[in-house]
This record gives sequence, C-alpha cells and structure tokens, in this order.
Amino acid sequence: MADSQDRKWGMVVDIDRCTGCNGCVIACQSENNIPNNLEEHFNQRRAIQWIRIERYWEGEYPNVKARFIPVMCQQCGNAPCEPVCPVYATYHNNEGLNVQVYNRCIGTRFCANGCPYHVRFFNFWEPEWPDSLKNQLNPDVTVRSRGIMEKCSFCVQRIRRSTREADRDGVQVEDGDRGISPACVNACPTTSLTFGDFNDETSQVSIMKEEAMSNRGKKDGRGYRLLDNLGTETNVIYLKKVDESAGAVHGH
Amino acid sequence: MIPGDFQPKRPTGGQLVKLGVLGVVALGVFVLVVLGLTFHISAWLGQPVVFARSEGPEQPIAFPHTTHVQELGMDCTFCHRNVEKEAAASVPATGLCMTCHSAVGDDLDEIEKMRSLYEDGRSIHWVRVHRVPDHVHFVHEAHIRYFTEKEGIETSQVCQTCHGDVKEMEKVKQVETLKMGDCVSCHKENSAPTDCVTCHY
Repeated sequence: MADSQDRKWGMVVDIDRCTGCNGCVIACQSENNIPNNLEEHFNQRRAIQWIRIERYWEGEYPNVKARFIPVMCQQCGNAPCEPVCPVYATYHNNEGLNVQVYNRCIGTRFCANGCPYHVRFFNFWEPEWPDSLKNQLNPDVTVRSRGIMEKCSFCVQRIRRSTREADRDGVQVEDGDRGISPACVNACPTTSLTFGDFNDETSQVSIMKEEAMSNRGKKDGRGYRLLDNLGTETNVIYLKKVDESAGAVHGH
Repeated sequence: MIPGDFQPKRPTGGQLVKLGVLGVVALGVFVLVVLGLTFHISAWLGQPVVFARSEGPEQPIAFPHTTHVQELGMDCTFCHRNVEKEAAASVPATGLCMTCHSAVGDDLDEIEKMRSLYEDGRSIHWVRVHRVPDHVHFVHEAHIRYFTEKEGIETSQVCQTCHGDVKEMEKVKQVETLKMGDCVSCHKENSAPTDCVTCHY
C-alpha cells in the first residue's frame, strides 16, 4: 500500500445523464448497512441517506422539466466539518478522503452543523432491520450504533480491498475498476457517476475534470462544484452547464 | 454514679444482631465491589487479574490442537484455509474433519459427536475465542503476506505473533490482549500505515 500516499480519490457526476432513478441510493443503502428509513424518519428530518437525489423543477407548466442532482459527501479538500470535531473523529487522510472514525465519535454533531451539503447523518436510534434483511448486512462495514455520526466514505472498504488485492497480485489498481468504484457508481445505469484518482493524470476523472474546468464559463462549458464560493475545494465535480450570472443574483 | 450523669445508651440484644448483620453485609458488598473493580480495570488495562479460569472456554467438541499439530504435524493453513487468501481465517466445515474422521478415531466420544452433527447436516457452534470489535477490520491475508514475503517467516510462525503457541493448547485461549495499542505499536515497528481508516471503516 505504498502508493496510497499519492492518491486523491474523487468523483465526476454528469447531471445531464442522471435520470433520477435512485439506483445509487439503494446501492448505497445496502452496501453500507444503512438502516431502513421509515416515513416518520423523513418527517423528523432524521433519515439517513449517504447519497440522495435532489429534485428541482425547471420551467412553467406545461413545459416542466425535472432536474436531479445526486448529492453525496463532497470529500472537501478544505472541509468545514473537520476542524470543529473536538475528538478528531473526522479528519483528512492522505488519500484525499474525509474520514469518519466511528469509534472516536462522541456524537457532538458539530460536524453536521458545519457541513453545508447536509451529507452528515446522526444516528438517533439503534439501527434496525427487518429479520429478512439481517443476513444481507455487509461484513466489511461497521454497523453504526446510536449516538454517532456517519457519512459517505466513498466506499473506503472497497478501496481497501481493491488496493490489498492489487498488492497481493503485484499489479496496480486499474482506473475505472468496478471493484474499487463505490456502490453508487457501479449501480448507475446511465454511467452518470465516475470514480477515480485525481492525482493520476491519465484517469478518466482527471480528463473529465480538466475538460470541465478549462471550459468553465465558455459557451458550451460544463462543470461546477456544489457551493464552490464557500471554498471547500470539493473532490466531486458536477457536469452541467451553469449560468453563473443567475447564481450571482440569488446567491446563497 | 452521680444521678444525672451522662449514660451512653447500651444497644439491646436485637439491635446488636441487626447491626452485626448490616456490618457483615456491608463488608461483603465492599469486598465484591473491590474485586469487581480490580477485575474490570485490570482487564481494561490489558493485564487481567483472573479470579476464575485461566484456560480457554469449553468448546462444544473438545478439539485438541495439541494432537493435530504436534503429533500429526498439520499446518494451521490445512484447516484454516482462507487465512492466506482472505480477511477471515475461517473455521473449516465439518466435511473437512470427515475426510479423516470417517475412518479415524472410531472409539472416541468427541468424534462420535462430530459425526452425528455431520450426518444431521448441522454445523458445530464453536465458542469464539479471538474477537475484535465490530469497528475493527482485521485482514489475515495482508498480515501473513507481509511477514512471509518481506520477512521470510513461515505462516505458522506468523500466526503465533497474535494467537500465541496454539499447538501447546489443549483448549485455545487468548494470550494477547488484542488492544489497539498492540496493533499500532506493531504497525509502527513495521512502518505499516497508521491511518485510522486502515482498520476502522
């Protein structure tokens, strides 16, 4: 795992491809042992969804278009959640991941208050599953108990396993390998999500990011980061043509 | 005695008995609390003061590692087949035992127990001895690979680092504390990653 120092995992989300099917959400819930969200959990704003599909309506009836934005932890390079943790339960590791350490977390929820993307979730209850689902829990992921914070980890268990297996076989992890890609990326039917290493210049995500960022503001340029003006330096790039002047009017 | 002088109240017989019983009970509770605290605090510090047994737990079938390893010379990996390949070391299915024990050990009770379980298609519910918490993901394969390939140590020798000398144990017991300090100090010695998400995710 010597090469893990040079990694910077990131994701590119092509919003123009997203159909809002929620496949990524389901894949994530089952990969990461997320308890079932009941209606009352949503009503209390306490539902746990490491990745969610935000839905927006564009235009006036009858010419309405639905727009979807999949939002997961943006793995900020300059994360607002990290410095507020009094016990260092969340920190940045050398692979560019914003890490949540469950056994350190004491549940102050400062990080969730600091996060502008609303992607951190507090366990208000012991997780529960119906009996029929208890045997499908992923043994590679901790079942988080009551009182601690959790969030998208970019499926670090898959990163760990893939790098270990590549190490064992004496090969490099291939770019776009399904073994290392998070569950949401593998589940996406329209390949709207792409996962890879931003430090590897030949990886698909790097090429897409380069293209998106260099064409930014130009006529057909796509590419932005969520709430970029906050300076969070996220590792998730969204591809979508944005009218930046419109954003400047409304602000945030 | 001068009239009106201070007279200490003498307890009656009944009160004496009550006070005596109370004293004995209080003393007993105090001793129990001290013993309990000693046990828990010392166990937490990783040096348990053991008041009960010092050998491993009773298993549903008294499997002797001594016989299989010392006398028959079997390697750890013969039964724990996944230990060099996967995260879990794996306990073998009864079928693996039956490759020998369908013919060997006819007159032993323990083997009869195992055979009847095998014929009923039931598995043996071994009592787990080594357990790390749920939020710790220990991978046997990576550790064995490091020590065998880079340090040139035999697999069965690598196992001993954490599991002790299992071949000498009639009943397997935990010899190392398996606390995070053990993991981290070894990781530092071998310049392995000490990032939290190496094990906690």
